[in-house]
Amino acid sequence: MIFRGAEAVVEKIKWQDFTVVSKVRNKRSYRHPELERKLVVERLRSESRVIEYLLSKGVLVPSLYEVNTEKSQIIMEFIDGITLEKGLRTNKFRDYLISSAILISQIHSSGIVHGDPTTSNFMISGDLYAIDFGLSSFDDDAESRASDLRVFLESLEAHHSEIEGREIFLDAYSEWKSSGEVLKALEVLELRGRYNLMRG
Amino acid sequence: MNSIILGIESTAHTAGVGIITSEGKILSNQRSMYIPEEGGIHPREAARHHSDIFPVLFDKAFKEANLKPSEISLVSYARGPGLGPCLRTGATAARAFAYSHEIPLIGVNHCVAHLEIGLLEGATDPVLLYLSGANTQVIAYASEKYRVFGETIDIGIGNGLDKFAREAGMGFPGGPKIEKLAKGPELLDLPYSVKGMDMAFSGLMTAAKSKLDSGHPIETVTYSLQENAFAMSCEVAERALAHTGKTELVLGGGVACNERLREMATIMTEERGVKCFIPSKDLCVDNGVMIGWLGYQMVNGDYKITEEDNRVHQKYRTDMVEVTWR
Repeated sequence: MIFRGAEAVVEKIKWQDFTVVSKVRNKRSYRHPELERKLVVERLRSESRVIEYLLSKGVLVPSLYEVNTEKSQIIMEFIDGITLEKGLRTNKFRDYLISSAILISQIHSSGIVHGDPTTSNFMISGDLYAIDFGLSSFDDDAESRASDLRVFLESLEAHHSEIEGREIFLDAYSEWKSSGEVLKALEVLELRGRYNLMRG
Repeated sequence: MNSIILGIESTAHTAGVGIITSEGKILSNQRSMYIPEEGGIHPREAARHHSDIFPVLFDKAFKEANLKPSEISLVSYARGPGLGPCLRTGATAARAFAYSHEIPLIGVNHCVAHLEIGLLEGATDPVLLYLSGANTQVIAYASEKYRVFGETIDIGIGNGLDKFAREAGMGFPGGPKIEKLAKGPELLDLPYSVKGMDMAFSGLMTAAKSKLDSGHPIETVTYSLQENAFAMSCEVAERALAHTGKTELVLGGGVACNERLREMATIMTEERGVKCFIPSKDLCVDNGVMIGWLGYQMVNGDYKITEEDNRVHQKYRTDMVEVTWR
């Protein structure tokens, strides 16, 4: 097993003689069965559509081999490497932060938001790959994109507080020509959320 | 030595006076909640309620604990975050008591207190799912600070429930009324909004209200509302558990009194193989005991009381707290 995530078990398996990754969404029995069904189908569908679309755009994400709605399973390419979370603890953290910013801006410019771009959802294997599109969607709203940036920055703060990564990351993201609106939305989001709502 | 701590809470609706020993024995937990005649909370009216009721709560607490004021060795009050007038009332009461009896005074963070009361229940390093009126956060200790791993990006879950209840003509507080009405198993299709570790409730409340307006029975609407809102909260808590690798969950805040939420959290943690600590209801809601307990943990740790402890801090963010006592 690679990872038991919040909603799926990710495993390295043999599939037609290849080493691949199997992602099976497990049932959450705390959720109402109908709500559960709705979310599983929604997320499985959107995940496979998003991955296919990003592959077609040449964005670095794992190739998709098979989708099985019955088993709520996705079979995809195994990226052999380390997570960005680990990579950021090495002396190449600057390069990795810049690559992450570029990769996220490529995802965004393809009209997609990742939905959960924490540092554990990127793999370093020579190049940087984005993985786990379980919460992603076709969305080109500046606010949704900003929310992606915030999820990334938060995972930096929570896990890599020793690194002042925010500036490096946002600098690199701002190289993207449509980033202005997103960065503005990020400011608004941060004012509204974490920094302003913490009352009694 | 077994010392005795007085805790004072007044960040929002609730005025609370708690007495707890350094061993964690609760000697008294007195609370009084301001309930507005109509509409939402009015900070100055709430503060007036608190200043009227504090003397009564002090009397009751000391009577119940069978103690004299001079037997208290530390006064702890909630510095923030909270509503200015309410915070200042609690701070004034705390200062007056501490100074007149020459007892040290410490100011603590309200949100962290909700987490640390979970340690009294047996947790050691938990993720806190904190659901109250204005606060909807998932907090855990990481890299020498308490950090917010996920939270609402619009309104607090409790305020959202209250708003729905108010518009549906149920009065305040809305949560318990919604809980009583909710009846399944029919589920309406309502927004389920989780983005990464953050959640949003505003759209859900609006959609629930329009379901009600379009003729769906209130039992089904409230049921669906709870199912969505609590599943979202539990999902975010589960994501934080996965992300941090921690193996304990603590519930806190007024909304954590809801039986369905408690049930969902219990199932989630069982399936995940982690422990779930659910404080009793009078320790989930705002209370003075948790404030006293946190104050003692800090003083017993390495925390040095400074002039700052005298001042309230309305926007005292969880991750602003210098954690020197763990």
